[in-house]
Amino acid sequence: MVLDLTMSMAILALMGALATIAGCLEDLESDVGSQSNPNSQVQLAPQMGFLHRIFNKAISGEPISNGLSAVIGGTVASVLLSAEFYPLTAIVIGAFVAAIILGIFATTSYAGRVASQTRFKQPLYMDIMRYTTPSIIAHNFIMNFCLVAISYIQYEILGYPFTIPFLALIWGISAGAIGSSVGDVHYGGEREFQNREFGCGLNTALSGRIVRKAESGLRNSIDNVWFCAKFGGPATGIALGLTVFFSSWPTTIWGYTWKAIGIGILIVVVFIVLNRFLEINAKNAYGPYKEEKNETEAKA
Amino acid sequence: MSDIKERSPNQLMIFGIIGGLLGIYLTFLLPLIGDKIHGTIGEIINTIAPVAGALGAICAVMWGADAVRRVAKYGLGTGVPSIGQIAMGMGIIAAMFGLAIVKKNIIAGPIVAVATASIIGFIIGWFAQNVIKMKIPVMIRCMTEIAASGTIIIIGFSAAVAGNFEFGNIVNLVFDNGIMLVVFWVGAMAILHPFNACLGPDEKQKRLLYLAGSTGAITMAIVGLAAIMTLGASGVITMLLGIVLWLIFYKKFWDEVYNDASSVVGTGLIPKTEA
Repeated sequence: MVLDLTMSMAILALMGALATIAGCLEDLESDVGSQSNPNSQVQLAPQMGFLHRIFNKAISGEPISNGLSAVIGGTVASVLLSAEFYPLTAIVIGAFVAAIILGIFATTSYAGRVASQTRFKQPLYMDIMRYTTPSIIAHNFIMNFCLVAISYIQYEILGYPFTIPFLALIWGISAGAIGSSVGDVHYGGEREFQNREFGCGLNTALSGRIVRKAESGLRNSIDNVWFCAKFGGPATGIALGLTVFFSSWPTTIWGYTWKAIGIGILIVVVFIVLNRFLEINAKNAYGPYKEEKNETEAKA
Repeated sequence: MSDIKERSPNQLMIFGIIGGLLGIYLTFLLPLIGDKIHGTIGEIINTIAPVAGALGAICAVMWGADAVRRVAKYGLGTGVPSIGQIAMGMGIIAAMFGLAIVKKNIIAGPIVAVATASIIGFIIGWFAQNVIKMKIPVMIRCMTEIAASGTIIIIGFSAAVAGNFEFGNIVNLVFDNGIMLVVFWVGAMAILHPFNACLGPDEKQKRLLYLAGSTGAITMAIVGLAAIMTLGASGVITMLLGIVLWLIFYKKFWDEVYNDASSVVGTGLIPKTEA
């Protein structure tokens, strides 16, 4: 389909918006289940005697688990599209089926991992299972919907030569990778070790000593996602949205020309410079972590 | 844990290879019988033939999951997903090579593919052991097993979507529409997830095998859904049978969880510990 400039910019904006939502929800979904980076400490805690009420969603890394749900969503959607369903219905049903399957994987990993920690007396809390799993499914559904919708737009409107499952898989892996690298940072150190000073690093003695009590009552995964929704999730969303926007913007305006490639390289250079400035600025403002006196004594 | 009776690697290997190849070959042989018997029975046999491929693949999933378990027990925490992916990577290369190289002798395809996979797996295992020096005693054997099971999974589920394992047919019905990606990715999850989800000091083989059956059955259900697009009625049977098998294995898995877990509680405070 040939589009004029206004229409292609509109589609680019729509894709950017969908990617932003997908990225945000992807990160939050991984935080509900303590997947990826924070998972190791959640897994380790019972071994150190710190039993907890946090969901342990070990469905491999984020790129793989999100690739899984996105590719299932894309496949189901393309099966329904071939059966002449309306695109929106097909995408919604595809996203829903994929989210349910991810939910099933989530229940097995929580139950399986807790059952494998019998010697540490970690109980399997069924209420955690019951209200955390629907939250995982809900977050994942929105992510799948956005990613399969982007794939549909690329395939049907922009005329990409790849199939919908293929595009969905690539988007799922990208969303997972970006969520893992951008959003995860905001849960591990800040939430699991919030009783330590920020930036103190994690020495071996602290391994597994995660925060298990909330402002009132015991902390669970829903408290964690509430915390991550303030910054980690939105930051991930912006990261994925900007990635989609800046990677397609030059070719949308200038077509597939050398000029567009030049602009693309320019964008990369500008971002490298900006990142470097940010890094130097942060180092100057906060400096290296200084160990407090009583902490040094405690170690000795 | 020596007091718990476990299935030996050899038992599972025989189960995986025989069950897997039997399922795959039935997708080819049943239609031959079906074509000879005219009428409704012949049609029914033709319709259920592709389902056998998916059932064979589930056997291979259980075998592969146990092979992943044996190699990953040596402390590969984050390496478990990588093992699943490499299994499918080796599997898909060997499967396509094996099915394509035999040309007219279609029937030899799966065996050539499994043999190729074993060689690739052996070489990769040898490299991991002797060049990277990972020092895992079971590395070579397990990589060979993982590669072979990966190939059977790929061919089995592809045959369930394409109807048989003829190369041209698979290219048309599994590759061109992107279904191969779901076979690849969900198949990889099916063999890596059981150990990944049961990771821990009190991991037990029985629970893991039930979970492997459950993840394999989920894959079968999705593959069946995709097969509705390519084959119609056969796809519906594959999907429904996949869901039924999933229910059975999932229930068995939960029975084991209730058995093995320290305690299963509706809700409650954290038990007091020394820490």
